[in-house]
Amino acid sequence: MRPCLRASVHVFVVLFSICGVANRSWSQSAEAPAQRAAPSDSVSQAAIPGPIRSFLRMAAISQKVSPDEILPLLARNVVVEGYQYWQDKARKPTEFLRLLKDYLEQARELQALAGLQETIRVNRCSEAQPLLTILGYRLRQPCGPNTSLETADPDKAFLTVDSGFPLADLEDMLRSDKPFVYPFPTSYVPALFTPVDWMISRRESKPDLVSTLVNDPALARLYWALSRIDENTRLALRQSPGLEKLIPFAAVLEFYGSHLHIRSGRVVLPGGEKAEPGWKNLVGSTPDAPADFVVKLLSKDEGWLAAYYDALSHVSRAQQSYFTEPKRLQRFYEALRGQDLSPSPARPVFRPNPGMMLLATRLHFEANGQPHVPGNLDIWKEVLRRKSDSKLVREWAKRAAKWNNSADNLVEAMFALSRVSTKDTPLQIFLITSEINRRRSPEQRLTPQTVRLLAEKFSRFGNQYPIFSEFHALNNAAITRFISTAEALDRIQDKALRANAVGMFQANIGLWQILARQEQIPTANWSDSWQRVIAPFANITSGPQLYNSARASLSEVSKAAGGRADPSQEELIALLAGPVQSAPEAQQIRQEIANRIRSVLDAQRLVSLDTLTQLGAGLNQLAEGNGMAESLIRLAGQLREFEMPKPLFTTRERSEWASGLYNNKHTATQMKTDLTKVLKTPANPQDLAQAAGQLVPFLRDTLVGLNYAYYEPPGAQMLHNNPLFVRSHDFSGEMTMGGEQVWQTPRMFGRGWSASGGAHLAGSLADLPYVLAQVEQDFIVPENVQSLIWEDLVPGMVTSATIPRWWRVSRNELRAVTLYQRVGEELVAAAAGDEKLRIDVMNILSDRMLPQRAEELKHAFRSQPGQDAVSNLTPSESFFLAAEYRSRFPGQPSIGKAGQELDSLVERYADEISLKRLSEDFGVPHPALAQSYGRELLNVKPFPTFLGYSSRLLAESWDSNNLYWARLADEMGYSPVMLHRLVPQLTHRMIEKIFATHLEDWPAVLRALRETGEEFRTGKIASLPKPAANNGGGS
Amino acid sequence: MAKRHVLLPLLLLGVFSGGLWLAAQDDTVFRITVDMVQLNVAVTDKKGNYVTGLRPWDFQLTEDGIQQKLATFAEGNETPRHLAEFEPNQFGAPKVVPSSARVSGRLRNDQAIFSDDQQESVTSLIAGASVFILFDTSNYMYKGFVFAQDAIANFVRTLDHPDRVAFYSYSRDFSRAATLTSDRGQVLRGVRATVAGDDAALYNALLLTLKDAAQFSGRKVVVVFSNGPDNASMVAPEDVRELAQSEGIPIYMISTREARLEPVSTAVFERMSASTGGKAYFAKSWQDQQKAFANIRDDLAHVYSVSYYPQTNPNRGWRDIKVKLIGEHLKKYKIRTRNGYRPKAARLAVQSAPPTAMPPSD
Repeated sequence: MRPCLRASVHVFVVLFSICGVANRSWSQSAEAPAQRAAPSDSVSQAAIPGPIRSFLRMAAISQKVSPDEILPLLARNVVVEGYQYWQDKARKPTEFLRLLKDYLEQARELQALAGLQETIRVNRCSEAQPLLTILGYRLRQPCGPNTSLETADPDKAFLTVDSGFPLADLEDMLRSDKPFVYPFPTSYVPALFTPVDWMISRRESKPDLVSTLVNDPALARLYWALSRIDENTRLALRQSPGLEKLIPFAAVLEFYGSHLHIRSGRVVLPGGEKAEPGWKNLVGSTPDAPADFVVKLLSKDEGWLAAYYDALSHVSRAQQSYFTEPKRLQRFYEALRGQDLSPSPARPVFRPNPGMMLLATRLHFEANGQPHVPGNLDIWKEVLRRKSDSKLVREWAKRAAKWNNSADNLVEAMFALSRVSTKDTPLQIFLITSEINRRRSPEQRLTPQTVRLLAEKFSRFGNQYPIFSEFHALNNAAITRFISTAEALDRIQDKALRANAVGMFQANIGLWQILARQEQIPTANWSDSWQRVIAPFANITSGPQLYNSARASLSEVSKAAGGRADPSQEELIALLAGPVQSAPEAQQIRQEIANRIRSVLDAQRLVSLDTLTQLGAGLNQLAEGNGMAESLIRLAGQLREFEMPKPLFTTRERSEWASGLYNNKHTATQMKTDLTKVLKTPANPQDLAQAAGQLVPFLRDTLVGLNYAYYEPPGAQMLHNNPLFVRSHDFSGEMTMGGEQVWQTPRMFGRGWSASGGAHLAGSLADLPYVLAQVEQDFIVPENVQSLIWEDLVPGMVTSATIPRWWRVSRNELRAVTLYQRVGEELVAAAAGDEKLRIDVMNILSDRMLPQRAEELKHAFRSQPGQDAVSNLTPSESFFLAAEYRSRFPGQPSIGKAGQELDSLVERYADEISLKRLSEDFGVPHPALAQSYGRELLNVKPFPTFLGYSSRLLAESWDSNNLYWARLADEMGYSPVMLHRLVPQLTHRMIEKIFATHLEDWPAVLRALRETGEEFRTGKIASLPKPAANNGGGS
Repeated sequence: MAKRHVLLPLLLLGVFSGGLWLAAQDDTVFRITVDMVQLNVAVTDKKGNYVTGLRPWDFQLTEDGIQQKLATFAEGNETPRHLAEFEPNQFGAPKVVPSSARVSGRLRNDQAIFSDDQQESVTSLIAGASVFILFDTSNYMYKGFVFAQDAIANFVRTLDHPDRVAFYSYSRDFSRAATLTSDRGQVLRGVRATVAGDDAALYNALLLTLKDAAQFSGRKVVVVFSNGPDNASMVAPEDVRELAQSEGIPIYMISTREARLEPVSTAVFERMSASTGGKAYFAKSWQDQQKAFANIRDDLAHVYSVSYYPQTNPNRGWRDIKVKLIGEHLKKYKIRTRNGYRPKAARLAVQSAPPTAMPPSD
């Protein structure tokens, strides 16, 4: 997990990032004038010595935040990055905190130098010494045109440059002997409550909130936690129980307090009034006594009850009604709580695994309102009885024996098991099998036998299951066939043969996935074609056989998509580039996609599929006594054309410095292969037939390379500059203990090891789009000085741009996506002056917004004509609001022009612009959240960070990018097919612009989205084409 | 005096591209794109002193053993000229110029080798070069950060004559603090605005720097300031070196002796810089880096720029370049230049018609 902003210097300090959504006004300018607001009579301001810009640099806060975000983010950074933690307690201050404190001292010295006029003034070079002493510099030469500054005191000098003091300007002035004038004011920023409120420790003699936060991590954590709660609730808590009493629960409040909402003297409960008895019982207090209720909620069971409350608050009201039925509420909580409260869910510095949140969010319900049970309950009893290292699982296996026929039993067990953090748990099996069934009609669902099989094989093949979730028409036989074939491949004794077979098998399946996703393989043929693609791998015993099997399998892939058996490389690339297009613009786009694939294959220096095919066929003919060996010799020479990069290291050095990372047997085998020897030497037919086995490693790389090339992230460098990248993909499983990596999501090896030959992947091709984006993300260049690429979030964003193809999107769809967003905005704007509408709008949005944002929106409604409120909405919120409002109030007349146009469009093209279709076409993949690469709009609240997931779930709950890019394209007159070019480039540009402070800083994502849109609208993104006339492709 | 033609803008735009067409057996047609190959050649005596005053006829170039014909030639700050502009039989008068530079890159003592005045005079010899400076701002630089900044700032100030300077920095990610500009103030502000912290991905950053540099015409060098370790790069140093060699961009690497504690970095710095025609320097501390800068400027001022259009060569892989001096009296001198390059191969179909429609299924 990596931060998204460089927090000054951290030497040998691990950076942790936690925490939540920042305050409102994310859309305000970075250089908001309020940063230099004059002190007013209001006491809710805090003083910061020196310019805000410098302070933000030193405090590791984005320069683009609004003033009211500054102190909460300072508090957050003090807690998360200011201390090394040991046994839940902040112990040793980090270098970050030391530098921040030192900077504040330096700023105060400079402030004293600046005097009452708050301006540092040096009239001439000879008067510079007092300033230079504070800055830690001295003159290198005596005053004059050649003078320059050099470091005198490295500690002070570091603070000077790290805080962005204009040293270069000072040097210029000194050289020219002109006055140097630099405003150095006290800056005032909004504070929660008053600084006096925070003088709890009584150590300070006068209120200085910045110092208080910097010096007291417990108070800082409470400050950060309270800043994420809506204002009314915050005020109520300040009054009672008061800040001091909340300090012990600051960690719980921070992680699980953002849904606490006190309104009219009552706590608003998840599940509403019906749930009240249940919550009263669990908490031991009444929501009518908010202070008591909140304290008991936070303190009970070391935070587990608060975590439960938060998870259930996070889901939609419809789902809440199930979970919060009083008996269930109690029962599920008791299961979650169990006998052992340790570890607490609020231990620093990440929330534990997201199992409970995923369970609550993704539980699938039948039409009768009951939870869906994949297979049947008996199967789940078996699943629980499986051998497990977890005592908890064994305990629930015993309980399962007494289950009645209610699905609640299973859900109860899943709540209990959500605390198990290992990778192979019944909850994970439940979640994936539920997702597989979610998109299936009753007759397509997994049979109990298939569920049992998937459960039994989960630990080995579980990462492959999202294929079955995405391709819902793959029937039980197809799924079973996959498992049996994969097991057969596992049984191959020869390691190299097995690795090649597994690689080719997955590569061909990967190609099948692409063509099925692009609708070139008709849904009705999925199961049949899938089995045909898989079948040749069922019994691999030798290299030549594997070669022929892989070719046969590839033929089936091609034929399934309407192509030729034994396709040429160009034919295969043409298929991958998308369906044949008739419009010139669409043809051009398809050509560009094909060229990008070719470009990667060339950069990876992979042997052409055609060469391998001809060699294979030629060897067969020779073995049969036909053909001329001479004609094959030149072709065979192409296998020898690949050259390893000129080595920088000796073999011994590699062995010493790369810890075996460079030892790639696969590449070594290729380098040793010399087919010409066989062809030049008279050989018997058997030898010639066997020689086809030598083609296998090359064929594997070409097939795998096609997969890599198709998912090329925008701005990719590894794919174009490291010719070993594809070849080094390790399918052997030997990189990890036990070899389990073979079928799992690939892991990256070799990063940061100079002698390793570059990073490479080891594992399967599952989740390849995300992993490739992970590899390539650090080649994206952040636009802002201090910002870093936001790992874990960025690959998700990139994947959302690389997976979609836009061939079937029509102009009407593009228009509809725009109109839904505009209608959402019209509703919000109109709600400012219409109380009933406001209530309806808020009821809908509360399913997508945390209480704090909802309250802020209500405040924004008070401004006329509601533009503040509109600017605070994300594109997916606008879309969701419009769609949901139209669904709930179908008879209501449209409010604005967009609504009227949408009415007309829906009337004429109901199917073409149905919400289901828009969701499929403009949604994004959710491989972690919904375990599928199928595109969908999920309409969920932004996810917080969790251990093991960091910001990945946040990225997948974002959903806004493609909706927004589509709207821009529509408004600027681009044809739908141009989204192939626009979406990756705009996403790439947006990532460059993200300037976030922490790992849940989605307002920074929205800000980058809007900035990118503005650049695009004003023609400042040079690489993007101007819109063409309306001759676009698509349908 | 022969009329000079300014060739540089054309050379690197590939206008005189010597494209070769190779038909493979499988009917896939490859185009090997080889533009004019440019070399920076340093000639030194045993002590590392530069040998100046050589003429085009003094050099012999081979690529994969195939003798090449020089197209242009220049020494130091001269503008490259066509060979036809040199008077035939005009042999050079080799002259050995005492140098402060040590080819091994190891500075022998901590004394300043050049005075500021001398630095100025040396700097005046490198007109026309675009200098791309890459600064390590990772955690590894923490202790020396401010001193390295001072050193770079001083280096930039004394680069009065090169056309343009770009200043980039890197930690885990790359930052273009000042894109290529002739405005030194902008570069200095970029230097002073850098922020230290995070992992080090030197080779990722070097790759991006080279790609930027390759887009500009004229003579280019990359100067890297790094404390050594790389713990976050995806790309291998070999790949970076090949790009530098293919683009003809020498890499100079400046580090402290601390980096010597990490043998991997030492090996990469020395080998990568040497094989691209640059050098590596390891000074006692960042304060002492002034001397390394002087050495780089000195080096740039004395190299010969030669270019050629490759003769027909079917090799699609790595091509070895060898440069020799002709004549007994020159055999005692050493030559330092890049040792080869890999031509870019692009499949013809890339520029052809849209992908073919699928023929009917069998």
